[in-house]
Amino acid sequence: MSDVATAEELAEAYRDWRVRCNANPRLAKMLRGWDRTVHLVTSDTGEGYTLSVAGSVLGELRSGLVGAPDLVVTATSEDFTDLFWGDLNPSEKYLNGEIVLAGSSEDVMRLDAMSMVAFLDQ
Amino acid sequence: MGFRTAVSTSTGLAFAALQYLAAAGLVAYVAGDSAWISIGVAGLLALLAWGFFGELNGMFPTAAAIRRYMGQAMDDRVALSITFTYLTTIVLVVAADAFIVGAALTHVLHVPTGLTALWTLVLLGLAVGSNLRGVKVAGWVQDVATTLVLTVTTVVSVVALARSGTPLHTPLQPFHHRSGTDFVESVALGIFLYSAFEWVTTNVEEVRDPRHIHRAMFLAICILFAVCAVMTTAMSHLLDHGQLTSPYPQLPLGRRAFGTAGVWLMTAVTAVTAVNTFNGGFVTASRFLYATAREGSLPPVLARLNDRAVPWVPVVVLGVASFFVAVVVEVVGGSEWQVLVAMGAALEAMIYAVAAFCVLRLRGRLADHHRPFRVPLVRVLAVLGIVVFGVLGVVASVSVSNRFDPVPLVIILVLGAASGVYTVRVVPRLRAAELERRAAVRPRRRPLPGGSGPGTDAMADPGPAP
Repeated sequence: MSDVATAEELAEAYRDWRVRCNANPRLAKMLRGWDRTVHLVTSDTGEGYTLSVAGSVLGELRSGLVGAPDLVVTATSEDFTDLFWGDLNPSEKYLNGEIVLAGSSEDVMRLDAMSMVAFLDQ
Repeated sequence: MGFRTAVSTSTGLAFAALQYLAAAGLVAYVAGDSAWISIGVAGLLALLAWGFFGELNGMFPTAAAIRRYMGQAMDDRVALSITFTYLTTIVLVVAADAFIVGAALTHVLHVPTGLTALWTLVLLGLAVGSNLRGVKVAGWVQDVATTLVLTVTTVVSVVALARSGTPLHTPLQPFHHRSGTDFVESVALGIFLYSAFEWVTTNVEEVRDPRHIHRAMFLAICILFAVCAVMTTAMSHLLDHGQLTSPYPQLPLGRRAFGTAGVWLMTAVTAVTAVNTFNGGFVTASRFLYATAREGSLPPVLARLNDRAVPWVPVVVLGVASFFVAVVVEVVGGSEWQVLVAMGAALEAMIYAVAAFCVLRLRGRLADHHRPFRVPLVRVLAVLGIVVFGVLGVVASVSVSNRFDPVPLVIILVLGAASGVYTVRVVPRLRAAELERRAAVRPRRRPLPGGSGPGTDAMADPGPAP
């Protein structure tokens, strides 16, 4: 596996994550009232993606930075892909400075909750 | 978050109800009418600390900055032990605020003192409940609350002084009937008046411009100096020893300014300080515990979230710990809250010394790292910071009510030792167990190159905890 994930790899991982998130009833409860636009910026390939949450439902991943973001997440394409597959712990990466965030602490918590609850209903 | 909110956050976190008691203690035991000079010297030292935090926060503009710069500058186990010990300051301040507001309510309502514990329980219960519901004080509410507290405190102090009709006794003689040791003690206590101004660095991801944090901290220190200097001058000039050593010296000050209305006014202001303290304290500490548990350095139970995505276990633990500390202070009685002030001052000085050490160490280890702000004359100022804050920390930890009392030092050492033992003995086992469990529970999901299904290799960087 190369050190850079392709846009297709990232999109495939996101699709899996999205299905998993939207099928999780606990997460639906957790995201109630949390309608947000999130920009994802890949630090290694310089690409931008937009995801949005509306009505507790995670929308499709759009290419490019669309609209005004509530939260901006910057990481390598590999880390984003692993994150969506549930293969890495975003908190660990965040504490190491490999994932950089810009947004309110509440939004950061919700995003971390998504990554945790989607895979392990904790 | 805009610049104004960054300033109000930094100032509001520092200006807890405990500041009234710390200011009065400083006046009563060490500095008298010249207390403002000690506060000024402490303010200059706080500016030194501001420089250290400015450089470190500029290098690591993240809420997890303290973990990052300490982890880079020293052994991770030492960094974790210091951080856990430092976290107890938050419990102390929250507990003290709840107790002080409770004591003030008991006083103004003329009800039995036993009810203070009940008020404390209600206040902490409200704080825990609102945190669990995910209620966060809006920026503008924080702006209004901080402005109100600082303005009313200043106006009450100035009016009380103006109404006294007598000149100050020794406003420019810090050594009048005092020794050099008294002055050092008063500066050590003075440090506490600025404590927690640096907590605003955890909001760096929320501000529109990261430079706001640096500027906000500077302005907060200036504001804190002005308000605390006026307040202590008024207290030293107008209050007697009994009033200064009570758990609510701000109430008689209010009476001197506006009579009974002033007492109620200062009671209300004292309660408002809790808004900032509880909001900032609970959010900061609970999120830190959550992130540390997610990292695998604390038991996984601390990473449990409720349906509002709030780490409910850390919030409840903090509430219970704060209530326990508040009740102990009340049961022990007397002026035992001065132990909390001494501990707070010592821990704050300790973290300033650690920041100075990190700045110095990282200049060598991460020489090429981007630094938006650099401490000038770093070899001189960082060493000065380590020595001065180290000495002040030790002095503060053995000084309670202007007498030698090692209780704060003993408590800090016990807390530090417990953190150290936990970090050395428990954390490695926790991390190992976590890695083992993660690998066993769920293999890597990402498809392997050339294959269509999930892989099954062991994870180099495993996923979240079950």
